[in-house]
Order: sequence, then structure tokens, then C-alpha cells
Amino acid sequence: MTLGRLPSVALAAILVAAPGLIYAAMAQTQSDTPAPDRGRGAIIAAQGTASGAPACALCHAFDGASDGSGAFPRIAGQPASYLATQLGYFASGVRNSAIMSPIGKALSAEDVAAVTAYFAELDVPFLPLAQPDETLVKAGQELAKVGNAARGIQACDNCHGPEGAGEPPVIPYLAGQYASYIAFELQMWQSGYRTSSPEEMAPLAAKLTAEDVAAVAAYYQQVRGSDAIVAPQ
Amino acid sequence: MVKVSRRTVLKGVGALGASVLPIAAASGAAEAQQAPTPEAQPAAPAPTAPPAPAPSSTAPSYTYLFFNTDEAAFIEAAVARLIPKDDQWGGALEAGVSNYIDKEMASGWGAGERLYRSGPWQAGTPSQGYQLAFTPAELFRTAMRAINAELSQTPFAKMSPADQDTYLKGLQAGGKDLGGVPSAEFFAELWEATIEGFFSDPVYGGNQDMLSWRMLGFPGAYASYYDLVDQHGIKFDRAPTSLAENIHGHITLDPGIPARSP
Amino acid sequence: MADVLQSVDVVTIGVGLTGTMAALELGKLGLKIVGIESGAPRETVPDFQSPAIHDELRFSIRKAMMQDNVKQTVTFRNSSDQTALPIRRWQSFLPGTGLGGSFVHWNGQTYRYQVADFIYKTHLAERYGANFVEQCGPELIVQDWGVTYDELEPHYDRFEYLLGTSGQAGNINGQIVPGGNPFEAPRTRGYPTPPMKEPYFGAIFRKGADSLGYHPYPQPSSNLSQPYTNPEGLELGQCVFCGFCERYACEHFAKASPQTTMLPVLLKMPNYELRTNCQVLKINLDSTGTQATGVTYADATGHEYEQPANLVLVTAFPLNNVRMLLVSGIGKPYNPTTGEGVVGRSYSYQTTGGATVFLDESININPYMASGANGTVIDDFGGDNFDHAQLGFIGGQYVGAIMTSGRPIENHPTPSGTPAWGLEWKQAVARHYNHTILVGQYGTSTSSRLNYLDLDPTYKDAWGMPLLRMTFDFPENDIRMSQYIADKVVQIGQAMGGTSIIRGGTTRPYTTTVYQTTHNAGGAIMGADPNTSVVNRYLQSWDVHNVFSLGGSAIPQNAAYNLTDTVGALTYWALDAIQNQYLKSPGPLVPK
Repeated sequence: MTLGRLPSVALAAILVAAPGLIYAAMAQTQSDTPAPDRGRGAIIAAQGTASGAPACALCHAFDGASDGSGAFPRIAGQPASYLATQLGYFASGVRNSAIMSPIGKALSAEDVAAVTAYFAELDVPFLPLAQPDETLVKAGQELAKVGNAARGIQACDNCHGPEGAGEPPVIPYLAGQYASYIAFELQMWQSGYRTSSPEEMAPLAAKLTAEDVAAVAAYYQQVRGSDAIVAPQ
Repeated sequence: MVKVSRRTVLKGVGALGASVLPIAAASGAAEAQQAPTPEAQPAAPAPTAPPAPAPSSTAPSYTYLFFNTDEAAFIEAAVARLIPKDDQWGGALEAGVSNYIDKEMASGWGAGERLYRSGPWQAGTPSQGYQLAFTPAELFRTAMRAINAELSQTPFAKMSPADQDTYLKGLQAGGKDLGGVPSAEFFAELWEATIEGFFSDPVYGGNQDMLSWRMLGFPGAYASYYDLVDQHGIKFDRAPTSLAENIHGHITLDPGIPARSP
Repeated sequence: MADVLQSVDVVTIGVGLTGTMAALELGKLGLKIVGIESGAPRETVPDFQSPAIHDELRFSIRKAMMQDNVKQTVTFRNSSDQTALPIRRWQSFLPGTGLGGSFVHWNGQTYRYQVADFIYKTHLAERYGANFVEQCGPELIVQDWGVTYDELEPHYDRFEYLLGTSGQAGNINGQIVPGGNPFEAPRTRGYPTPPMKEPYFGAIFRKGADSLGYHPYPQPSSNLSQPYTNPEGLELGQCVFCGFCERYACEHFAKASPQTTMLPVLLKMPNYELRTNCQVLKINLDSTGTQATGVTYADATGHEYEQPANLVLVTAFPLNNVRMLLVSGIGKPYNPTTGEGVVGRSYSYQTTGGATVFLDESININPYMASGANGTVIDDFGGDNFDHAQLGFIGGQYVGAIMTSGRPIENHPTPSGTPAWGLEWKQAVARHYNHTILVGQYGTSTSSRLNYLDLDPTYKDAWGMPLLRMTFDFPENDIRMSQYIADKVVQIGQAMGGTSIIRGGTTRPYTTTVYQTTHNAGGAIMGADPNTSVVNRYLQSWDVHNVFSLGGSAIPQNAAYNLTDTVGALTYWALDAIQNQYLKSPGPLVPK
């Protein structure tokens, strides 16, 4: 795993699926909760569940890198807690997706724990990128690392970690995430369709222009946490 | 700039299980203890803090900019007693505290920045605080010269640990003059600098590999806990993050010449 | 010598909390205003962003946001028979510098004073008899403020809505509201935003305090619990509990400061001009000494300018306000021998202390998940909320678990008996770091005839001006008060499950070598009598009517609480008088 910012297995392991109960469980029963079954998680990823959830791999690929179209986010190495919370949001309607909402509802608590633990531990290469638009990347980098004074926008890295590496267990990595996914989600916040993190992400997204969204998405997509790709000094 | 990879550090000290571990774990061999496999039962709250990479058996080597050879020998030996290593965690020497103090002394801090330096000087009451004419660099140099002269037969670094502790306690107790520096004042400054070097961000040349942060469970510079603060009592053991960290898990700093403050 | 500039309507000496408020308020009237700030300009973006802003060594230890002692400091002694010596490095208190002043690095703790605090002398005499204060300490000075809580309430309200303060009201128009502070002075409405989330240390304190019958409530915080748009149209963010507030600036726009609540509006005003890195040397008076003509200042190159102005607002840190009046010859300096004179008299501070409560290893406090103003407090021992008749002291302290961070250079507690260094120390630090709660006491500092500020006869600042000399020790009254409450805090610590407790409480002598608080108060106090105050009830100089001295320097005695909210309320109160009375008819607002 090259992202280097993952929660310890201990933390990931004690997560259970139901959002809102997650941390209560962590607080009170951390020694009682069985570790999630990553092997079972792998099976769900590959085959889906009898309760009607299709295989994750259909869109996210078995290794969590997804298909590269950018329609589906990269989830490999994303904190299990974050993934479980989002699945809960899809189930409860905080997030809405024709594809993900039924899946969120179909997965049991144990399924969620297993499958998120499975994806969280994956370290997979990034798919090749088209030549990025340097101007756009530069503008995105400015927003991501510095912010914008005139419009009161703080640096994304304040919460998403150095170069978007994430701050597990709650805050996801952005580094290497598909630009079209980042842009789409920011637009969902702007339009009010995405209601998770309403007091953190929604006010920030509201301050971004379409150009900002494209820029910050383009920037993070090409930040890649692999030692094989070291950015020039 | 030199990129110090935590992975490199980890390999360098031969930490356990690196080959089977996600690199995430490299930042805290923490995870190595805690079940890299799904079969394990990692959820029990750790009764003790996760271990550091095994304390190095050889003293690290630094490019000292301020300390001469004798001074460096004293400082390294002294900080090693002030915060010793144990079988779980390295101490001040392993954390690079001598390097931290050296860089501070060589910098504006050593030269007395942010220190009101106008006379007249006179001894004050304890509640009036520091009233010596020495800058920190002058104070360290003057005191160490006196110590090394006093101990010319058996230098501090060659003493037994027990004798070293006795000598340091003598400095701390005060009453000894070190070339114009009261020994208790020197000890207080040395201890303060040791604390700073042990606990400050690695960019300043101490707390290398975030040793003390991992010992405490302090998550470091990147910090955003809105969703966690009311989850009372959780065991939070995210690997710490330094100011100079990047996506690769590297801490971008020159181990010899780090950033300086302020 | 000095270049004479074009005259303006208003000049503010300092652009921190009060200087920004004044310029914004008077700027809206169209007045031409110049703000002179000794420090550098700075903004949330790019100056306060991660990762650089989370550097404990640079900001907490090296104190990068504080005034540079090389240029200017304060001399100090405990009593007038000693020789004052310079505070060569800030430790006990931390005056800020730079645009926004200390209101950038504050913690955000936002308390109102109580009804009795403003009529302290009258109140104590009525409740305990005319001789009670004298019996508690013949050196004590207790005064009424010349303004009442009811007069200030609308200004408190307005200030809190400027900041977006997060809290739980305890008393709305006399109705006690559950969950808030039942001792609080009546508010006309609740806080603009709900209280912050309660961290674990606050919850444990709450349980302990509850079990003893006390009244815990969430500390009012100007690190916001949710996004907020203030009346100036500025958007503040939500605090993420990063644990880097006090001595730091906020990267999230979540802590109220001039940068987040006022400056973006002010700096766009064409009739406002900000001059940074400029040190005001003195206020100039006309030949009669009863009217100010403006100020003289030096820019960063040392070049001197005279800035004429119709109205001079002294808006620096409280200690610097007093020094400015002294070097300018405004008001009669206090003479501790005769008791005559007013400038520098009634300098007070804040008593601090508290217990360190060590808990079982199974209890993870995670102290780094914190904000500068989160946590849970009780006011059962605040001010005059408890009967002092048999206690032999006046005053009180609020008590609470309001840990502001887990930054390790500053926070590595060890139980009593732990060696000061070495292996045992290290292992104790590792053992207790995540399982320890600090329960603080913060309270009254009673003014005294023995404590005062004047100009140092020996030491100078970088511009050749005399340093301010502070003569201060806590009166025995305050020690008795704090030690009495320290016993109560130990009981709370036991109720919290403390396996080992280090008792705190204020002690003598006061020392400049340990951080206590930056709530330096008084020295240019307000009042109804020109013989015992520097400024009248509108913060206007009794002697020079076009000089107003705004800020904590006006507070006659520190009545327990952190004073920012009261400074804000007093400033709005004074600005209201300037706008509605003074500008219409310049002259003394209260006959001398």
C-alpha cells in the first residue's frame, strides 16, 4: 500500500456497517467485535451476495482500481471506515445513486465490514493517464494546496492530507482519484444532491466555479502515491 | 533535498514483517503487531503503545554545524541519558535530538532571535526569568567548554550511565559555575531543548521517524477530527503525519540541515 | 523632522480586535480612517494554511505570532522594592502582533461577565457589608465600572452575532434554560450557533461535576459548531477540532478573528487605509494638552510621519494602550506612594490553576481532538456565585475540562513522584499521555494598590521609547480564593475517576516564567469618577476628549472570565457613543 495513510488494521477491523453505530461500536465493544472476514469480502467483490448485491468488481474491478472510465471511483486503499460510512449513506438515502443505493440496502452489516476491509487493504497500481492539461493541473494544485483568498476557499489538503493522501479513518484520499468522479461529486454537492458532510463539503463546493472543479479534479487525478512515479522536484 | 522514505527507514532497522505489510504500516510498525491478516483478532485495545522500529544499536551520524567534536560527544551522551532508549522505543539520541539542538544553535535561535538583549544585565528573582547576557549558542558553548575541561580525565561520554546520571543531577541541582553559566540554568536549557527536539516535527531535525509521536499516539500535523471527537474513547492509532510529508510517505527534508524556526 | 501627512477623521493605534471593530463601524459612516499596525499584514489564505500552520515548535514554543521581544517587551518585578528587569522572552502572557493582533491567536473562549461584576463595589457592600473588602485585604481596590450589564447586553449580543459564537444559553430574559449556565446574566436571545460537540474529556468532567451537584455546561466558543454567515456577510466555516487554536491561526475560517469576521469588508472600503509595519511613537497633543492633534509613527525604514487626525483611538494590546497614554502624557500617572493618579493603576490579570487528573489506561482521551474553546465548565465557583461571607475572600473561578490540544511539546503530563527526566519519566509520559485530563481554574484577579504599570526608568524599546514597567503579585485574597477552589477541583477529579491527581491553584509569587493567561487587564480603567479612572463610561479620556482607549485596559478588575466578549461589548458600546453622541458634538461625553 503506497498511500501510507491507512488506518491500522485494528481500526479498520472493528468497523461495523451501520453508520452512526460505527464509532459507538468502536468505543464500547472494540475488544468484542470479531474481525471482518476479508476473504468473504473478496467473494462479495467478485460474486456479489445472495441478498441481491451484484459483484463490486463489475464497476470497481476486483482490485478496486475501477475501470478507468472515471464513472466509478477508485476504492482500493480507501479507509474501510469511510467506505462503510458511504455504503450506509447509500442505504439510508443520504447519498443517492441508482446503482449504489440498492447495493447499500442489500448488504448486511457483516457484508459491509467484510467488503470494506477487503478493499481497504488493497494496494494496486494506477491505470495509465492521458497527458494532463498542465495549466489546469497547476490551477488545481493552487486550490488544493493554498486555497483562494478572495473567495475564502481554504486548501483542500487541510483536511484531505498532504497531497490529498487522506486522513483515515474518516477522510478519504483524493490522490489518484479519477477526475471525472471528483468533479461529479463536487457538482452533486453544489446542486444539493449529495448531502453527506453537509457542513464541511457543501459550503466549500458552493464556492467553487466550474473551472475550479475541473482544475482541482485534474490535479488530484495525477497525484499518485506510488514510489514508482516520483514527481520531479 | 533528500527524500527520507519511511520505507527506507524501516528496512534500515530491519523492522518486523515489512515484506508482508502494506507500506502504510511502515509509518508505524504499529500495524506489524496488529494483524496484517484477516484471520487475526486485532481489535483488542492495545494495553501498551505499539512499538517503534527497534532502537538502533549504532548511534546515528549527523553533520554538525555548530557543535565541535567534544561538544557533540557530550550532547549525544547527555540526551541519551535524559531520554534513554528502552526495549520498546528509542530515546532522544535515536530521535536525533542532538542534531536538532545543533541546528537550533547554529540558527537564529542560537543567536538570540526573539530575545530582548539590551542591558544592563543583573541577576533577578526566579519570577523574573532569564537574565543572562548569553545567547543560547553562547550559553551552550560556554557551559560545555567548562564541563569538558572539568571532565578532561574521563569525558562525560565515557562515564558509566550511572555516573552520567549523577553528574547531570549535579548540574540540575545548581551551585556549580560553568564559565559564568549557572549549571542549573544550563541544565534547564538543555532539558528544554531536548524536549523540543524529541517532540517537535521531524522537519527540525529531531523526532526522526516521528518516534515520539508514535510512542504517544499523537497523530501529528495533519489533523481533522470533526467526525471523531464525539466518538468517546475510541482507540485512534492512525499513523502520524509530519509537516513535510508527501503522498509517497516520504518526509522531505535533509537530515543534516532541516528547516529552522521561526 | 517627521513628514506631516494629510489629516484624516480617525486614526487607530493598532489593528486588532478593537481597531478593526472601530474602523469598520466608523468607516460605514464614511469617515476617512487610517489604521496603523506595528506588525505585518496576513490573511487566512495563504498565510494560515496547512501544513505550515500546524507547527508546534514555531508557533507554540518560538511564538511566531507574538510581539518580538527584541523590539519591545515589558519589564517586571513582583513588588516596588525590587528592580524591574526585562521579560526577555514571553512566557506568562503572549501579546500578539500582526494584522488582527491577539484576536488571531486566541482560543475562542467567549464569556460574558455577570450583572454583579459591573457594580462590584456596590454589590459586595450590599451583600457582605461595607467593610468586607477591606477585611479581605486592605490593599484591594474594587470599583464599579460606570456602565451596567443591562446597558452592555445589546452590545454583547451584537458582538457574539458578529463572531457566530457557539453555545447553550442558560438564561434568556430571566428564564433559566436547561443545559446552559444557570448563573449567567440574562441574555435576550440564544447564541447564534449551537454548542460545539462535547469531547470525551468534557463528558467525563460533566459526569463528575454532575455527581457532585454542580451545573456543567458547554463552554461558549467562537470556534464554530457549524457554518455561519455573520451580519457583515462573511462566511465562517465549521471547526474540525484539529487541536491547533491557541497561539495559532485557523486555516478553516472556523475561528472568529478580524480576518474571518471583519477585515475582508473593511479592507474594501475606499475610505479606509491600513498601514502595516508602522510603530506609533506617541499621540500628539495641542498646546493646551486637552486635545489630540494626531499621532507620530515610524515606518519600517525608521522614517517618521505625523498623521493628523480628529479622533485618536487607542486600540492596541491592553499593556500597549497604557504605555501609549503614559508616553503621550495623557492622564495623570498613578503614584503608588500617595495613591494619587490613575494611568497604570488597577492593573489586574487572571488567576489560573487546576488539577491534573490521571485516569485508567483503558480510557482514551485522545486530547489532540480538540478546539481552543471546546469542553465543559461549571460556574458554581465563579465570581460571586457562592456565599463568601464566611470565607474571608472575594472573587471566584470557573472550572472546567477545556483542554485545547494534545500538542506534545506542551502536553506530556506525569503524576507526582515521577522523576523529572530519564527512563522512568519517559515511560510515564508514554503511559499517561492519552489518559489524562487537565481540569482548569480561571478566575478573578483583584486590583490592588500595590500592583501598577508605569514607564521603566532604564530599559528602552527598539525605537528608544521607555518600556512599560509592571509591578505585580497576586493579592493574598486571590490566593485564598484559588486554593479554596483547588480543593473543590480535586473532589471533581476524584469523581471523574482520577487514579492520581495533582492539585493546582494559584500561588505566590506570580512568575513570568510559566504561561498562565494573556488576559492582562486594566491600567487605563473606566469609571464614573475621574479621580479613580482614566476613561469615562464611554472609554473616552477624561483629559483629552478626542482620545478613546478601547480594550481590556479599561476593565477595573478582572471578574473571573476571559475578557474578549466583554472587550467586544465595551467597544461596540463606546463606538455607539462616538457615533451617536461624540461626532454630533465633539467634547467630553461626561462632565469631569
